[in-house]
Amino acid sequence: MSASASFQQRGPVAFLRPLGRCLVPVVLVIVWQALGKSAILPEYLSYPSQIGVAFKELWDQGELLPYTRDTLLRLFGGFFVGSILGVAMGLISGMSRQVNGFLDPLVAFVYPVPKIAFMPIAIMIFGIGSSTQAVIVALSVSFPVFMATQSAVKHIDKHLVWVAENFEAPRSAILFRVILPSVMPGVFAGLRIALALSYISLFAAELVGAHTGLGLLISEGQDADRFDIMLTGVVSYGFLGFISDRILLKIRSRVLKGDQS
Amino acid sequence: MGAIKRFFQASYSIPIVLFIWELCAHFRIVSPRILPPLENVFRALVEDFGNGELPFHIAITVERTLAGFVIGSVAGVLVGFILSRVRWVDYLFEPIFFASYAVPKISLFPIFTFMFGIGTPSKVAFAALECLYPMVVATHAASRMIPQQIIWAGENMGMSHRRLLWSVLIPACLPGILNGLRIALPIGLTIVIVTEMIGDTHGVGFYIANYGALFRPERVYAGMICIGALGLIFDRAVLFMSNRITHARG
Repeated sequence: MSASASFQQRGPVAFLRPLGRCLVPVVLVIVWQALGKSAILPEYLSYPSQIGVAFKELWDQGELLPYTRDTLLRLFGGFFVGSILGVAMGLISGMSRQVNGFLDPLVAFVYPVPKIAFMPIAIMIFGIGSSTQAVIVALSVSFPVFMATQSAVKHIDKHLVWVAENFEAPRSAILFRVILPSVMPGVFAGLRIALALSYISLFAAELVGAHTGLGLLISEGQDADRFDIMLTGVVSYGFLGFISDRILLKIRSRVLKGDQS
Repeated sequence: MGAIKRFFQASYSIPIVLFIWELCAHFRIVSPRILPPLENVFRALVEDFGNGELPFHIAITVERTLAGFVIGSVAGVLVGFILSRVRWVDYLFEPIFFASYAVPKISLFPIFTFMFGIGTPSKVAFAALECLYPMVVATHAASRMIPQQIIWAGENMGMSHRRLLWSVLIPACLPGILNGLRIALPIGLTIVIVTEMIGDTHGVGFYIANYGALFRPERVYAGMICIGALGLIFDRAVLFMSNRITHARG
């Protein structure tokens, strides 16, 4: 920390510092474009301007928007349900020894199984469609959120709870005003891992069986040898993931006003 | 004997859930396509172990996971270490690294298959990429947490850079790195299974996807049981290893 601070103070070029930090990505894109233009790169790596053209084409055809909407709907629907489930179960299991003893061995066994493995079963129940993908996302989200919440509840400063109990605070007040606020940092750590996982599951779920969505766009582009379309899907996916992570961090800093870490 | 008894006392919920499963399947409360009777799952498991189908797929999945994990974590420790210790590297590459951290790498998978083919190499490369990120983050955090005093102390005693690296910096980061390994290995396994499900003809992921498409749910569950067991074994192995290492270090 101190090292970077002294670096910052050096010389009158301090205002150039943030510019320099953007250097590598900019250079990368330029090199990518140049190599692509001069046909050094293999055909399947369309270069940035080609991707831009394909992006505009898909946008004008009105294909990109509904696909993106469907992907986002599945993602956030699944994420919402899964995280609420995970937090609720995590709270219960963290507070009650019986529930914890019951769930722990089950979770230990199911946790390492990638939830995408439930895809064939989910298709049999929900058919091929958005609900299947949302269910897979919800499943993959709920486990890490559950684990994070449960361990956060277990590591709560017991004194806080004791103090509240001494003041004869009702159970609901202890839950909502003592326990919930103090597990929030842990919950958000779990949510962030879960968000990354949810993109992995959603992508695979969309590739395996979907009628719309960005994953389908990628596999269609791949099948039709339209690599610019494929990469448009890839870039959009990456962009969505990046933006949703930022949004989550924004929400986190809103919720955890006092927490500086 | 005590350990076994404690194990069964601790995991009493598994037989209960299996019993409910069996009841649901037996009385057709849930369609057998969704919950096949347990004895069918068990039979499928034994059959496919007997005819060598499952061991074949499991061996391939394990091999890919371990290869990707080893490559990814070695590279991740190196990158994390350089990123946290060399100032100009940190200045130039830290933004792009932490920006790409949030990007779902899985969307790059089609490109990986073009680069490395659909077989083992693309899966190993991809698992390595996904293991790399948590390892960099863990190493970076651990290395930043090293108290400056012990580095100064080492320098004061006239240690060479090399000596400082091997006997101060690396041991100080070790617990953090070992923790990172425990996060990275299940990610590697997940990635290998997922990519096998998307497009391959080998591996446990393929086994599940294939029998799912053939409407053979008992084999889907058999595959899942194998993955669950694999995940548990992997986790215990990393835990055992890291306990050994940190003990040896004192």
